[in-house]
Amino acid sequence: MEDLIFSLKKDTGPIKLAENYDVVIFGGGPAGLTAAIYTARAKLKTLVVEKKAVGGEAAATDVIENYPGFPEGVRGAILAQRMEEQAKHFGAQIFYGEPVNIELAQQPKSFVLSGQQVQTKTIIIATGTAPKMLNIPGEKELKGRGISYCATCDAPIYADRDIAVIGCGNSGLQEGLFILKFVKSIVFVEFMPAIQAEKILQERIMAHDNVKCYLNHQAISINGDEAVTSITIKDRSSEEIKEIPVGGVFIYIGLIPNTQLLQDKVKLNDWDYIITDEKLQTSVAGVFAAGDVRETVIKQVATAIGDGAVAAVSAQNYIESLK
Amino acid sequence: MAHISKEDQDYLKKEFAKMINPVKLINFTQAFECQYCQVTRELLTEISELSDKISLEVYDLVKDTEKVKQYQIDKIPATIVEGTKDYGVRYFGIPAGYEFGSLIEDILDISKESTDLSEETKKQLKKLTKPIHIQVFVTPTCPYCPSAVRLAHKMAIESDMVRGDMIGSSEFPQLVNKYSVAGVPKVVINETVEFEGALPEPNYLMKVMEAEGKQKVTK
Repeated sequence: MEDLIFSLKKDTGPIKLAENYDVVIFGGGPAGLTAAIYTARAKLKTLVVEKKAVGGEAAATDVIENYPGFPEGVRGAILAQRMEEQAKHFGAQIFYGEPVNIELAQQPKSFVLSGQQVQTKTIIIATGTAPKMLNIPGEKELKGRGISYCATCDAPIYADRDIAVIGCGNSGLQEGLFILKFVKSIVFVEFMPAIQAEKILQERIMAHDNVKCYLNHQAISINGDEAVTSITIKDRSSEEIKEIPVGGVFIYIGLIPNTQLLQDKVKLNDWDYIITDEKLQTSVAGVFAAGDVRETVIKQVATAIGDGAVAAVSAQNYIESLK
Repeated sequence: MAHISKEDQDYLKKEFAKMINPVKLINFTQAFECQYCQVTRELLTEISELSDKISLEVYDLVKDTEKVKQYQIDKIPATIVEGTKDYGVRYFGIPAGYEFGSLIEDILDISKESTDLSEETKKQLKKLTKPIHIQVFVTPTCPYCPSAVRLAHKMAIESDMVRGDMIGSSEFPQLVNKYSVAGVPKVVINETVEFEGALPEPNYLMKVMEAEGKQKVTK
């Protein structure tokens, strides 16, 4: 068995929250952890607040092949774990929870975490994104009964079944490769007339003979009573409707930013991504944004890390300006 | 070849040096070992060799009927983490991937007989009057699963009324079907309350308290 152990969490024990920090980072994905590495190493008192699990979307990615330094690719979980270790090594605290009562306008900024009031000179928002829902009949009704947005989590459960993957972007095909380790076959459904993913992923997927692609097709319903039994798709040219029997549906049609807690607190674009300047400062002084949660053209681990570094240095400069 | 790398062994030795009370890993397998039984036993053996404070006992599901009854084992591979008493911390399936970290943290918590659950959660757990059986379905590659497993196990450590089982979805497809597991982590409490996804501690506790009001099961 390969990779029997990849989660040796090198914890430093329970975190005791302080009342004041120099930098608080919302989100423990690649952008947030990179920012934490920079600010903690700069001897700024740093707290990372993570809602679920460190690593963000990257941790739920089977293998990341385009992150420099790993010619064979690196498991997302391992990359996340090593970033976490590095941030802790320099003294950053990582606390699992969700901040509420966030006040950004004044100095210091404040929020409540696990019932405790916390103040900080700067905040870096790196809350990332969440999978976008299709919003078609059956999706809500059959949630938890054959619909998944996390292949690395759930694919082993669908062993030996016929599966549909909606969306042929990089995520859909990358995770499709992982799903193929377990399932009998995959039907890919892509809204656009051509596959959107990188060529290398297309070639790997097409090398499998248990894969079929429906391009220029729209998923119109997911069907089943107790569990998913089929998916209905429509040819966008001919309008022909097809019902395809499947035992599960994995959805990779895009992402939505995790900015629910920040509505009316920082300026967002029409799609709710945070707008920043070149120093990654948001519309509020001393509040920065990094990674997938901000308005940016590319959402990759490599770009998130660059963002984390920029936001961290900008936060450090902002703290200096307060003196 | 060792399952635990030299680097991880060195790290674990340092962590285990902090242990207070001895911890016993109890493994159930059988003569003709199941798909994941052998590797589970090997992994536990390697862990037990890293500290004088950790011991390993291996029992046979078919032959060791008394032990099977004592620990209420109905499937293998099964692993119990026992300290000064049986806290009700169980792993059914291989504690690998992300769950290896859960096992290590359980060993350390059980050795010191305490967890970092909030005082409020501990207070609520003391109010339990009925047995609570928490089953957490996982896959080794699920990054959100350890928090659900660890909360079940921490509650088991803090309360004699709670038993927490990690259940590997790949190892027990019959249970995956029985409980309609289509995504992990999936948590089933006392057969009456269930939810999918990693919940924060206060919300998880609410589900436990909700189950307590519903049905009685045997721990």
